[in-house]
Amino acid sequence: MIQKKICMLGSFAVGKTSLVRRFVESIFSDTYQTSVGVKIDKKVVQVKGEEITLVLWDMYGDDDFQKIRWSHFQGASGYLLVADGTRRATLEKAQALEERARQEIGPIPFLFIINKCDLVEAWDVDPDLEARLVAKNWTILHSSAKTGEGVDEAFSQLAQKILG
Amino acid sequence: MSAPLSQFLREFGFVLLEHRGHGLFALLSPAPAWLVELWDLPQHGHAEISIAEKSPFLESFLSEADAFWNSNHKGLCQSETWIEKSPSGREVPLEAIALQLEGKRFLALHSSEPQYQERVQLLQTARNSLLVHESLQREIQKKEILLHCIIHDLSQPLSVMSVAFDCMNDEQVSERGKGLLELGKKASDQQMLMIRDILQVFSADLKASLDAQGKVESGPDLLVCAKSTLNAFIPVFAAKSVKLHLAETSDRQDQWRVRGEATRIERIFSNLLENAIRYAPAASAVTIGLAQEGEFVRASVDDEGSGLPADLTPAQIFALFSKGKESGGKAGLGLYFCRLTVERWGGAIGCESLPHRGSRFWFRLPKFVPQVDNNAQSAKPMPTRSSVRPLPAKKYPMRILLAEDQTEIRMLTTDQLERSGHHVVSVANGREALDALKHESFDVVLLDEDMPVMTGLQAMHAIRDQQKDLGPMVIVALTGYNSDPDRERLLRAGFDSVIGKPFRLDALDTLLHGASATEAEKKFATPPAQTPIANLVDHVGGDEKLARKMITTYLRDTPKRMSAIQKALKQKNGQSLASLAHAIKGSVSIFGADLARDCCEKLQELGRANDFREAVPLFEHLKEEIAQLEANLRGYAGQQHSPRPEASPKTKRRNSNPKR
Repeated sequence: MIQKKICMLGSFAVGKTSLVRRFVESIFSDTYQTSVGVKIDKKVVQVKGEEITLVLWDMYGDDDFQKIRWSHFQGASGYLLVADGTRRATLEKAQALEERARQEIGPIPFLFIINKCDLVEAWDVDPDLEARLVAKNWTILHSSAKTGEGVDEAFSQLAQKILG
Repeated sequence: MSAPLSQFLREFGFVLLEHRGHGLFALLSPAPAWLVELWDLPQHGHAEISIAEKSPFLESFLSEADAFWNSNHKGLCQSETWIEKSPSGREVPLEAIALQLEGKRFLALHSSEPQYQERVQLLQTARNSLLVHESLQREIQKKEILLHCIIHDLSQPLSVMSVAFDCMNDEQVSERGKGLLELGKKASDQQMLMIRDILQVFSADLKASLDAQGKVESGPDLLVCAKSTLNAFIPVFAAKSVKLHLAETSDRQDQWRVRGEATRIERIFSNLLENAIRYAPAASAVTIGLAQEGEFVRASVDDEGSGLPADLTPAQIFALFSKGKESGGKAGLGLYFCRLTVERWGGAIGCESLPHRGSRFWFRLPKFVPQVDNNAQSAKPMPTRSSVRPLPAKKYPMRILLAEDQTEIRMLTTDQLERSGHHVVSVANGREALDALKHESFDVVLLDEDMPVMTGLQAMHAIRDQQKDLGPMVIVALTGYNSDPDRERLLRAGFDSVIGKPFRLDALDTLLHGASATEAEKKFATPPAQTPIANLVDHVGGDEKLARKMITTYLRDTPKRMSAIQKALKQKNGQSLASLAHAIKGSVSIFGADLARDCCEKLQELGRANDFREAVPLFEHLKEEIAQLEANLRGYAGQQHSPRPEASPKTKRRNSNPKR
């Protein structure tokens, strides 16, 4: 069976681990538990009638305490770039991380996930940001690990992108 | 060597594997329980293990380890912490170290649960604190906006109180009542200052925030900004099958340069396009248009949706936290900040339903004027006292149009202005002000900044557009945002003057007198001598009936005020002295009695300073002047028809240079 390595990239507390848990185990917890190391999960999905195993590398958030080790991206077929739609700074951070990823590992498929879309009242996304990113050919999805909205679609779309 | 090393490392919780090539490793000691559990190893034996099969993380780490081994560097190559999950679901934190001894390659694995938990706890605390900090910052930002709104709302009833106190000054009030009135006035003045201070602090913060985002004097090209935003939005519109295009526009260089900053102008376009796409039906078109409008450039975004929501006025649409019911919009800040930004640059923003279908959101900005002085802060110079447009009217009373949405303020201001003899038309919003201007011309237009239907700023721009037809007039902003940056903003936008709310009527009075003085100075550069009566009749446009009414009022009120001044001097009541001197100053001014007016002004200043040393002789002087004026006025009031009575020699001399 084909295996594809997918990395989760983004600031701390944007919901990377929650998205993986929702996707793999259909579980969500409201309590924020920070990730310190790397955790690897697997899930088999059907893409274009073919079964592939997604090997999900759930990475700790990049911040002043822990910097991303780009060697973990070696062999990755794609990544999910995750931001928190209620924290404007994480959207800016995501753009910086994408640029860094391009320098470190070259252009590989990725999807930009703006997570926590269930928190409508606290939503703080710059209105023209998405248009600007779409203009740069980014694929953007809104997701909620809490409700499950957009989660399967995110992994599935990335898998499709990877398989071309 | 391997065995002792293995034994040594085992003491520290490590398990040692020796690299045998081809991704295979051999355990050099019995596997610890955690490794048996994780990798499902046999309890005994030293079987070779394929790392790639056991751990994807280690498989990846081997590339780093290989590079280290091949480099022949001394020391270690340590992995990140990673978490392996056992078949039973238990998560075990692990670390790996690649090392090289006597030409042999080793991998040491370590499970460090306690240290890991300690690190997790530390990072959890640190990141939780960062989240709390971020959340507090957002809350503070929201509170600041709310505080501004609350302060602004607080100033409204204070305006009513302040104007009411002023009006009560003219009523018959007992001595006790006067004391209470002074108390009330003092308290309202104090509160007024407090509100102004708070707004000053808030505006300074906001200005710093806006300035931090870009300078305003660059003169960006509105057409370039429109094209740039359009290009960014084409995919979004295409996804909704809505055509987005720019109406045919001249691209002559410099034609579209405006006052502002490119990034923020693009943000405004973005906000308007975001808004348009929410309402534009599939297969419709959204059009960006640009047009020249005198000293301004106007940009518009037209959609073919259902038009503006019936439940919201244009002013409400641009208000803070305003959201359409079906919009799916966000916090209601986008259009509010568009308005804030555009108005800060001296422009205006608005929206309207289009005749057939759809709506138009537009904004306009002043054309960019290159600066002569590179150090100047703004492209358009701040209007100074001398640049205030002079009043076209030389007569008194003035024709005043007042647009104020708050009934009490409107009523009291109108009443007071009428008491001063002005002709006042009062309306409740900018739209009604424009309607009133269609039927009548005015010398002064007082526009409250924040009004429903059409704001004062929008009305001012509309009036300026039609000024050729309407004739010259002074347009004054009445605003609750009365900090210095806000005053500058309104003056730059095109108002001739600004009166902060809550305001005292004496401020308005002073302004009106000041405004008329500008014209008087021009008109009477070499003035003919005029008597008080001639001045009055001239000021009231030859309306003798009104002149007599004003004289009667003056003759009735002035002796009482003079007695009250005498009493204030005896009691050394500075506030009362200033207030009464001010009242008389207003009255004598309309008769062109300069010396009396000057005495009043000095007395007012002394009263304010609680300085009574020169007040008494000054008052005696005023009494003389008042007596002279009274004699003249009584003479005229007794006559039936005498539009230009002759002046007495004394009066002629005294009024040979009637500044006011």
